[in-house]
This record gives sequence, structure tokens and C-alpha cells, in this order.
Amino acid sequence: MTTFEQRLARLEEIAAELDGEQLELSRALELFEEGIENLRAASEDVARAEARVQRLVERADGSFDLDESND
Amino acid sequence: MTTPRRRTPRRVAAAEPDLFGTTPVVEPIALPEPPRSYISEFIEHVGYPGESARSAVTVSMLTETARDVIEGAFVPIWVRGEISDFKAHRNGHWYFCLRDRTAQVRCVVWNRDQFRIPAAPDNGMQVAAFGRLTVYASRGEMQFTIARIEADGDGLRRKALEITRARLEADGLLALERKRPLPRFPRVIAVVTSPDGAALHDIKAVIRRRAANVRLVVVAAAVQGNSAPEELCFALDQVNRWGGADLVIIGRGGGAHEDLWAFNDERVARAVAACRVPTISAVGHEIDISICDLVADYRAPTPSAAAETATHSRQELQRELAKLSSHIAASTRAVVRSSADRLRHLARDVAAASNEHVASRRTQLETIAGRLHALSPLATLARGYAVARGEDGTTLDSIAAFRDRMPFELVVRDGVVPAKVSGPRRGSK
Repeated sequence: MTTFEQRLARLEEIAAELDGEQLELSRALELFEEGIENLRAASEDVARAEARVQRLVERADGSFDLDESND
Repeated sequence: MTTPRRRTPRRVAAAEPDLFGTTPVVEPIALPEPPRSYISEFIEHVGYPGESARSAVTVSMLTETARDVIEGAFVPIWVRGEISDFKAHRNGHWYFCLRDRTAQVRCVVWNRDQFRIPAAPDNGMQVAAFGRLTVYASRGEMQFTIARIEADGDGLRRKALEITRARLEADGLLALERKRPLPRFPRVIAVVTSPDGAALHDIKAVIRRRAANVRLVVVAAAVQGNSAPEELCFALDQVNRWGGADLVIIGRGGGAHEDLWAFNDERVARAVAACRVPTISAVGHEIDISICDLVADYRAPTPSAAAETATHSRQELQRELAKLSSHIAASTRAVVRSSADRLRHLARDVAAASNEHVASRRTQLETIAGRLHALSPLATLARGYAVARGEDGTTLDSIAAFRDRMPFELVVRDGVVPAKVSGPRRGSK
């Protein structure tokens, strides 16, 4: 899954490449399209944002569980 | 002199009332007399110990008796005095004297009790020491066995802080180059703190208010008390072993100076340094600076501030996206515009090139036309010559081509004249 941070990083790359010298039109449009797609997904991420609180619980075998916190 | 090591007579426990409130009758059990000790035999045969040269006691009996008397007479107490002759022995125990202007007492802190004392005291320090007065029988000396020491002006804690700090510094753990940047948008934040402390409450409140897109994972540890350093280290180790967090906040709310002490523990500081992901330390209030703060990648003045630093509000994220969006749109527009400009220039160039081409062809044509004109018979006609042409249009350029009375035409500069042969032909030969 692409994280918000990865999307943002990609968007920044896209912006930087678009600012570059001698960019071909077809490449620019391709980047633009990818940028729009990433922006849409990132906006959805932001809209869905919710703070969750869980508790780390270590089991006897050394594996970990996350318990939902009730408060 | 009392008999040393007198046994306390065993008592029959009073019978408890039963469930119905009646006290059962219990016959007291007759206990046998305690066996006669060597002392009583000694008394019988030679008199009271030490009473005469004959009944002189041994040195060990003397010191053991003194020990029993002294240890029986004193409960553990706090004693104030100045440290002198401090010696940390190879066996791990500390030996020194506590003294005032007129007296001194030998003191020991056993290795196993030293964990309660922040640092070894220095000579000349004014301290209050808590311990038991004992007799060190094999030397016949009185000895104060100490379990806790508090120095005036919190001197031991300050000394401990300096020592810890120096040790961490020597290992490069306080170097600024070690500080890692915090992730800009952490998804999972591990919070190492007490699950019911003020710090967690404050952090939760902040991330809920900001609707930050994060998951808090609480890793519980005591934040004060004797077990706190170990629990904090263990929690940090759990975060490492779990591997699911991309940022760690470690801390606690404000409290008394002693309550924050665990965050000055060298083990905790090293565990923070060993954390695989960036760390924010938030211990107490703004004015409290702990060793943990110095080692962490970022020091937040309070737990709330740590949460603010770690996360972005929904509005901030939206602003960031809007900024990127307009940036990308503007950049794309710029590329499109410059491509269009290039196209326009190209068209103009092509047009210009083709115009030039046409012009040069025209000149060429005119040159050729001129040359053609020069060669044309019409030009000759213009000078007054005429051409005879037969009815079929052939040029009649010899007398042999003419027959009697043959009609023909004469082509002159401005037209054609019909003509006819009217006489005999005369040749030049």
C-alpha cells in the first residue's frame, strides 16, 4: 500500500521533474496525469484521517498484538 | 549482665472465635522447657561470665554480645554527617567515615544496596544517611551499615547526572550529528509511557483534536519508582523488536524532581539511543531537562508539544496538497505553453523558408525568361526581319521551297501578311 508520505514524496518528485529543463510535452502530460492521480488518492487519505489508539501487547512467544484502546 | 541470645518463649496462639461467635475451648499445650544453654551451665560451674578472671569471656563472646545489644537497641535511623576517607573497595562495597566535629563512625554500603544511591558520595559531602548500627565482630568495630544517602543540595543526583552525561558524551551519544530528522508524516507512533499517566492523556487529546492521520501505539512502562528504568528500557526494546512504529515518543507528565529521575538513568538513555526509529523525548515540564532529552533526536518541552511536533492537522495536510496541486498544474501549463511557443516559432520558420524558396525560384524564372527572350525569333523580327512560312506553317528558307504562284505568308514584327510568288525565282548561284 502506498502511504500518504510516499504519495507526497512522489508528488514532490513530479513537481520537481515538471520544473526541469527541456521536458517533452508528452512526458509532462504523463507526469501531470500521475500527479492528479496521486493528489486524488492523497486527498482521500486526508479525508479519511482518524486518530487511533492501540496498545502493544507482547505474547509469550515473543510475537506482538495490538489491542484497541477503549477510551 | 543479661543472658545473651535469650530465646523468646513461644506463645500459644489465642483461639479465634469461630463463625458462630463462640470461642472454642482449647487446652493450653504444655511446652517443654528450652534446653539448658551452655551459658547456664557456665554460670552454674564458674559463676557469671566476666565476673572474675576465672569466668573471663572470650573476645568473640564480648563482640557478639555487643553486637546483639547494639543491634537490638537501634532501629534503622537517619544520621547526618560529613563523608571522609571514602573508599570504593575492589569487592564492590563502599567504605567511609561519617563524622562531625567531635565524633566519627565507620560506614559501609554493600554492593547490593548501592542501586538506591544515585552516585558514590565524595569526601567532604554533607549527607544524611539511613542505616543500621552494627558491630563488625571480627574487628571489634562499630559499623553503620547504610542503605540510602541523601546529600545536601541534591549533590548526589547532580553528581550522577554529570557522570552519566560524561559517559554518554564519551560514547558520542550526545553528538548533534547523531540526531535523525523526524518523519514528516508518521503513520504509527509508539508512545512509551505510563498507560494511565497525564502524558498519554495529553498526547491523545492533541492527535484527536488535529484529526491527525496517525495510529498511536501505547507501550506501557512505569515512569517512576525503582522499576521504572528497567521498564522503560524493556518497552523501548519491545518497540525495536516489534518494528511497526516509525516514530517513538518517550516521556511523562510533570512531577517532583525524584519522580522524573528514571529519565536520567544511563540505561534508559542508551536504550533511547539504540532506538531504530527517530525519538522524541518529552519529560515533565518545559524547565525539566533530562538525560533522555539529550539523547533523543528531538526534545519536546511537554508531551503535548511532542504530539504537536510529530503530527500535522488535517488542515495542514490539505494545505500541503493544495500547494502541490497548484505547483504541478502551473508547471504543466508552463510546459504546454512553451511547447506551443515552439510550435508557433517552427511554423513561422517554415513559412519564412518556403517564401524564400518561392522568391528564389521566381528570380531564377525571370533570368531564364530573359535568356529565352534573347534567343526568340520574335526579337529578330522586332529588328525588321520577316519570316516566310508555308501554308502548313513550315519556314520557307530557300528558293527550292517556293513554286510558281504558290501562296505563303510573311511573318513580321506585329503580324502576318498573306503573299504569293509572282515571278521566276532567282538564286544566288
